[in-house]
Amino acid sequence: MHNEQEKKSLREYVLGVIERGEVKMRPKWHFAFRAALYATGGIVLLLILIYLVSFIAFVLRQTGVLFEPSFGSRGWFAFFGSLPWILVLLSAAFIVILEILVRRYAFAYRRPLLYTALAIILIAIAGGTLVSQTRLHGRLFQYAREDRLPVPFAGRMYRGFGGQRFMDIHRGAILKMGEGGFVLDDVRGGTSSIAVSPMTRMPPDGPLSAGESVIIFGEREGEIIRAFGVRRIGSEENEIFRVRMR
Amino acid sequence: MPDKTDEMIVEEVQRGDTQAFGELVSRYEEKIMRYAGKFLSEIDDRKDVVQEAFIKAYANIQGFDAKRRFSPWIYRIAHNEFVNALAKKSKIPTISFDPDLLFPHPVAAETADGNAARREMREMLDMHLANISPKYREPLVLYYFEDMDYSHIAEVLEIPVSTVGVRLNRGKAILKELMHAHA
Repeated sequence: MHNEQEKKSLREYVLGVIERGEVKMRPKWHFAFRAALYATGGIVLLLILIYLVSFIAFVLRQTGVLFEPSFGSRGWFAFFGSLPWILVLLSAAFIVILEILVRRYAFAYRRPLLYTALAIILIAIAGGTLVSQTRLHGRLFQYAREDRLPVPFAGRMYRGFGGQRFMDIHRGAILKMGEGGFVLDDVRGGTSSIAVSPMTRMPPDGPLSAGESVIIFGEREGEIIRAFGVRRIGSEENEIFRVRMR
Repeated sequence: MPDKTDEMIVEEVQRGDTQAFGELVSRYEEKIMRYAGKFLSEIDDRKDVVQEAFIKAYANIQGFDAKRRFSPWIYRIAHNEFVNALAKKSKIPTISFDPDLLFPHPVAAETADGNAARREMREMLDMHLANISPKYREPLVLYYFEDMDYSHIAEVLEIPVSTVGVRLNRGKAILKELMHAHA
């Protein structure tokens, strides 16, 4: 009896609230708009993430850091030391925000967090790699160097990250072969003498010749760079990413 | 409206029949009150929170996709209301990271407990519920008191089905430990 009374009163209370207009049913468009807003936010975040990843790839190639791991464990050590960690952490933050955003959808919360996080990372790397194959960043970097980028922050970002110089990585074209090394016409417009020793890791695919584009891994001692390793840059890599620093 | 499904009634409410919402309240009031009883101790609190859950369900009913099951949806709203009510009372932070959600787990097969075993489990749960953390309490309550299957519980708690299995197994283990400690 008491249960019946309570049941009636809760039902009547809720219907009373509705009939008195104290609660309004949110219209369908409210939910459609909210869903569209979330979807748009998600897509915008994903596009920013792809842009960031492609920019990291550009910076790594432009500065030559990308090629460091090909020089063995010492190269890997230098590679991790030279990574643009601010950009990497910013990308990680975007991945976390995107993960939080997608967790509200059934396709995401039905699966372990690891799967959706990996899916976001894979999409970002695949998209970033695709964008980095275009000349987009190379052109923007060129504009930034010529102070023609309309967004001041973007100009500083391209000049700051793209124009970084590292003590142990040098990029350019071989100007002249000589005894015990060669002369490098570096991408900044200067020349450097490269000292090659029997310990230097030379490219396995044949001897070097003048005119070839190379990456040299080794420390500078005054005018001379003592090469720990030398690697050829393919013509395609050179074509896409060669932006002279003069 | 005994022969109509919940989803059919929801469609009527969505078309503007507010009285039809009363039928949904009647169908779920007892279940949601019982569910609330496992989380909120004071009867007045419980009633207020359940009323609020139904009012929120009405306000948001246009956002419900009638092709899906209504039951997990209303339980989800109630669950959120209980969590908010508990957080207000105890100032417990509601956002926490659960490592169980991170990695995939093998999906544990749903065990077909006999009636006697289920009854025994319910009695044990009733005795020790307050000593089990909400993380394990929720799936145990939904499984043993609300008779939901794993996928249903996963929808209510918005977690993977495999995590439901993990939490239920751990919850049962905790319950057995509590039983031994009090024996």
